[in-house]
Amino acid sequence: MGLSTSTLPFKERIAAAAKDKFAHASIAKAQDTQYTKRENARAELGNWQDWRKLGQSIRQHVIQYLPDYLEEFSDNVEKRGGNVFFAQTTDEANDFILNVIKQQQGHHVVKSKSMVTAELDLDKKLQALPDVSILETDLAEFILQEDDWDEPSHIVFPAIHKDRNQVHTIFKKLGYEGDNDPEHMARFARKYMRERFLEADVGITGCNFAIADSGIINLDTNEGNADLADSIPKAQIVVMGMERLVPSMKEAEIMDNMLARSAVGQKLTTYVTFEGQQTPGETDGPENFYVVVLDNNRSKALGTEFQEILQCIRCGACLNVCPVYRQIGGHGYGSLYPGPVGAVLSPILGGYEQFGELPFASSLCAACTETCPVLIPLHNLLIKHREVETDRLNMMHGFTDFQMKVVGKGTSSPFMFKMALRFKHFGLSPWTHQKPVTATNFFEYNNSMITKGPGMVGGWTDVRDLPVPPKHRDDFRVWFKHHKKQGGDAK
Amino acid sequence: MTIQNRDKFLDHLAERLGQPRHQLATHPYQQLNDLPQQTLSDKTPAELLALARKNSEALPVTFYEVAPVELPQLLTDYVTDKGGGPLLLPTTSHFADYQLTDWQKSIAADQTVNYWLPDADRATNLKAAEIANIGISFADFLLAESGTVTVSTNPGQGRALHFLPIHYLSIVPRSRIVARSTQAVAWYEKEQAAGCLDSSAIHFITGPSNSGDIEMQLVTGVHGPLDVTYVVVDD
Ligand code: SF4
Repeated sequence: MGLSTSTLPFKERIAAAAKDKFAHASIAKAQDTQYTKRENARAELGNWQDWRKLGQSIRQHVIQYLPDYLEEFSDNVEKRGGNVFFAQTTDEANDFILNVIKQQQGHHVVKSKSMVTAELDLDKKLQALPDVSILETDLAEFILQEDDWDEPSHIVFPAIHKDRNQVHTIFKKLGYEGDNDPEHMARFARKYMRERFLEADVGITGCNFAIADSGIINLDTNEGNADLADSIPKAQIVVMGMERLVPSMKEAEIMDNMLARSAVGQKLTTYVTFEGQQTPGETDGPENFYVVVLDNNRSKALGTEFQEILQCIRCGACLNVCPVYRQIGGHGYGSLYPGPVGAVLSPILGGYEQFGELPFASSLCAACTETCPVLIPLHNLLIKHREVETDRLNMMHGFTDFQMKVVGKGTSSPFMFKMALRFKHFGLSPWTHQKPVTATNFFEYNNSMITKGPGMVGGWTDVRDLPVPPKHRDDFRVWFKHHKKQGGDAK
Repeated sequence: MTIQNRDKFLDHLAERLGQPRHQLATHPYQQLNDLPQQTLSDKTPAELLALARKNSEALPVTFYEVAPVELPQLLTDYVTDKGGGPLLLPTTSHFADYQLTDWQKSIAADQTVNYWLPDADRATNLKAAEIANIGISFADFLLAESGTVTVSTNPGQGRALHFLPIHYLSIVPRSRIVARSTQAVAWYEKEQAAGCLDSSAIHFITGPSNSGDIEMQLVTGVHGPLDVTYVVVDD
């Protein structure tokens, strides 16, 4: 799989995504459920805007001094007896990981959820090793693995596109004889995976944050699978994007709080773990601890107008508010990183040739920017991508220039931003027609659907109506509060 | 113990950033505001206890407050209620601190009791955790804001003790209830800096293992314990 999750052209991906009615309904349900949980969790904490500034300041500082933090972190991993491998490319990372497994004489590899290992297409490489079994242990990833390695469609809820009946069919192939109740199926998965955990000799985990001043890593999960993966096997391989650093546990703790509230509407995830190379005298945990630090084109963002995307903490909140993600789902993007974060990040990691359409898969409504816990100006970065594509690659002209300039300038102040939204409606009016508004098509905004689009946007408006950016008075928050007050079911 | 490809990698990043390496000593991170320290800082110990109970029970966690003298009976009743052993207990002086040495003897007379042993090998300790119906441990802190217990690994208490047993009970003194993760992390950092704590793993545990991965319906006990109990002991 790697970064690209589909070989289909953009237009065909969108067409396929549009046909998947279950995925569409489940994404809508997830967005609405998460909206309430996330906003309540943030409101309960209080001073959310100041927390965002705090989170931003930590992440910006780390990115600005990234070489120093990586040096400090790797020195401290080594001091504890661990190993660090800096990989410029996915091939370098894969070669190193496969070598470690060979050296460790690993036969049973357990993995906890890691976007970066998916970026490496590591599962496929591991499957090719003789005498090595591999098990994804996050419940969603396990479901995808057992469904012939289906692609994830969300960065926090990877199997969001599957319903209980599909999971039931998958589990029956593994010998499950019960009904389709999620509780019963989860119990079956527990037993199935526990047996394999106990024979595991290598654990591969991701890393939410790497702690520079102590050489340990920080993992956040609700299931506890990462904790089993770092307790039972003798060897642990941590695979991390190079930007996932924090100065100390103190800042990790701040980010953990913001991540849990933003990703799943919890105060903290069930398990927040700080761990590293086993200390002498301890009997479980990794006797052999390896960290792979991956660049894979992340460095292309450094020193450019896109540097801020490296602040991302992968909370998924921007996916959960995005009207375009709601329409086309994760698979429509064709990238491991979908939604607004993916539309900004994918062209940096994989190039414009492959992911050049994604910055256009946005209504520029700025809901993503408004929700991002670390204040990444996502919609502005999408506009910047369009500028780069338009100006430097000379890929399209006219409409986008016009709209970009208006929005780009307009978002510099709240008042101007509101004006810009008004103006965008005005600017788009030639392409819109009226449709009756329902709860489910609210995101199609203000009865207006773009049914014909110019340039690259036309590729997907042919198959799916493009939501017009919301009028400032009609944003999702306003609608949701109003709808809830009336006792409506937010679907 | 190796670091590979570092200098080339980091030089490239510094070049992209347009600034030399080794700037951090003169540009350390300065916390922008004191929200983490201020949040819930106005709560009294009694209010923190009430908050801890409320937030724990919402997870859901079974929450008890007991006097030290009531603790042995509560533990015995808990073991019976959860269907008995095998139990997995840490090797720690906390049992003596809480005057639980007689309880240790009496429970061992009735049930299979295993200890996480500092001098046992990996396989032996993991086996004890694997077969455990009940795991009991002593927490360093209880966080009022989130209903979280925190534990640190040491030779007498491995990581898996908190994850492999089916039922998990955590004992915490009332004086160790703090507002939030901020205070717990500050303590761990201080202990580590002073050389008083040399642990490879610190776990913050907030209720039972759970997942919403099938149709976002929350189910408990996917990997870790199926249920969790906190016992706050008046000290
Ligand atoms: S860009 Fe912001 S909102 Fe989106 S996943 Fe990253 S941190 Fe979360």
